[in-house]
Amino acid sequence: METIFWILSAITVLGALFAIMLRNLVHCVLSLILFFLGIAGHYFLLRADFLGAVQILIYVGAVAVLMLFAIMLTRHVTGDEGPREVLGGKWWAGMGTAIIIAGLLWAIIRKDQLAQILPAGGAQTSMVEIGKAMVTDWVVPFEAMAVLLTAALIGAVVIALEEVIRRR
Amino acid sequence: MAIPILFVLSVFLGIFAYTTLVERKALGRIQNRFGPNRVGRWGILQPIADGLKLLIKEDIVPRRADQFVHFLAPVIAVIPSILLFSVVPVGTRLVPVDLNIGILFAFAVSTVSVLALFMGGWASRNKFSLLGAMRAVAQVVSYEVPMVLAAVAVVMAVGSLSTLRIARAQSGGILNVTNWFVFRPWGFVGFVLFTIGAMAESARTPFDIPEAESEIIAGYHTEYSGFKFALFQMGEYLASIAMAGITVTMFLGGYNGPGSGPGWVGGLISMFWFFIKLAFMIVLNIWIRGTWPRVRVDQLLGFAWKVLLPMSIANIVAVGMWHYLTFRPLAWVATTLWLVLWFVTLSKLAATENVAPRTYRYAS
Repeated sequence: METIFWILSAITVLGALFAIMLRNLVHCVLSLILFFLGIAGHYFLLRADFLGAVQILIYVGAVAVLMLFAIMLTRHVTGDEGPREVLGGKWWAGMGTAIIIAGLLWAIIRKDQLAQILPAGGAQTSMVEIGKAMVTDWVVPFEAMAVLLTAALIGAVVIALEEVIRRR
Repeated sequence: MAIPILFVLSVFLGIFAYTTLVERKALGRIQNRFGPNRVGRWGILQPIADGLKLLIKEDIVPRRADQFVHFLAPVIAVIPSILLFSVVPVGTRLVPVDLNIGILFAFAVSTVSVLALFMGGWASRNKFSLLGAMRAVAQVVSYEVPMVLAAVAVVMAVGSLSTLRIARAQSGGILNVTNWFVFRPWGFVGFVLFTIGAMAESARTPFDIPEAESEIIAGYHTEYSGFKFALFQMGEYLASIAMAGITVTMFLGGYNGPGSGPGWVGGLISMFWFFIKLAFMIVLNIWIRGTWPRVRVDQLLGFAWKVLLPMSIANIVAVGMWHYLTFRPLAWVATTLWLVLWFVTLSKLAATENVAPRTYRYAS
């Protein structure tokens, strides 16, 4: 268990680092996929199988593939952009972001006692419970998300339609 | 645990090897020629000869190719296809892994295989490979949606994502046959939708535009030779066999059949039925490949979004009606009418669509 955790963590961190440090854009996205898979592995390790499978299905199967597709539709298909500085002159921006995120994480962990909520063998999340929670306690946020996504979908269609009409 | 995994690795890899032979023989029959008949009687040793030939062939990598990604792509093509078999219950006593998210796991794993097609096409630095990769990504992303929604119908009816529980839910009835989901209105529609989706997802012939040899040489694996090419082929075949296995489990009753049961004898009989049904699905795939022409890109995407997607959503509604109309004859009539209505409407809508005559820029 412990060994698997460290191996997965190494994969995840390396994937994240490569995703921002590699020069080739497509290599970056592929490293990002490695990172997503590492996170999915962590979910499986915590016995949240459903979350892990959904992580792979959505982030690897849809988000990353759409990123690759978007790159392929641009002129920089090969992804080569030449040398690139990770932070440029703005090291302070990176530091600031890191400090804010670390602070937020620390506050959340301290307040909610996430570590204590988890039972020893990992969380026993069943899909049935997730489904029930989604249509009872969390029905308003769930519906709001649905409306938001529908609005985004219609917006995308409208933008695409304008382009089609202009071309004619 | 270890025995089912060894079984899966050996038996399904053997099935893969001989599917290639059966496919070549059947295609030869359909196209009025012999097919392989030189290595052994009826070409029975042909897969072994092919494997040896591909192993000792020179491995050519284009100089401008992205070496690392080019090397990684065939490896990634095979891994998800083998993982797919882990959730297919082969018999009552032979279930590799019973995950409570079985179907979802299968879909999650099968989406990873599109990465291999993309990586292979992109890393080759070849126009035709890249075109093949783009087609593959567009195709797999669009066909995944109706396929998952067709599976949702079964998941709703059973109330579980576990492939084992889905198979168990189809036992009983007359001769262990009448409870198969394919003998329900929604199950039949789901079966057709899922089979089409699975065929498109593994880029089998009516939907093989990512490697359309008359248009883009061989698509994403144009620049692969030797065993790397074999790995791509293996990934494709294994994925389509695994998808056939999942189709059998979800709609054709899985391992259920006359005589199947929990004991040792029943277990052996259940494996027999599973492999008979798997062979039926494989032969159906080959038959369709031999007799249907390749679709165009716009037909392919239009079919997925304008016909399959609305039909699969209508199918989900049909399962809801089936669940709440407890008086069975009424449920039969209502769901059948509902699905036929949708089918007729959608086919009318799809048929009236006119494709403008093609204008050629250079070839007129």
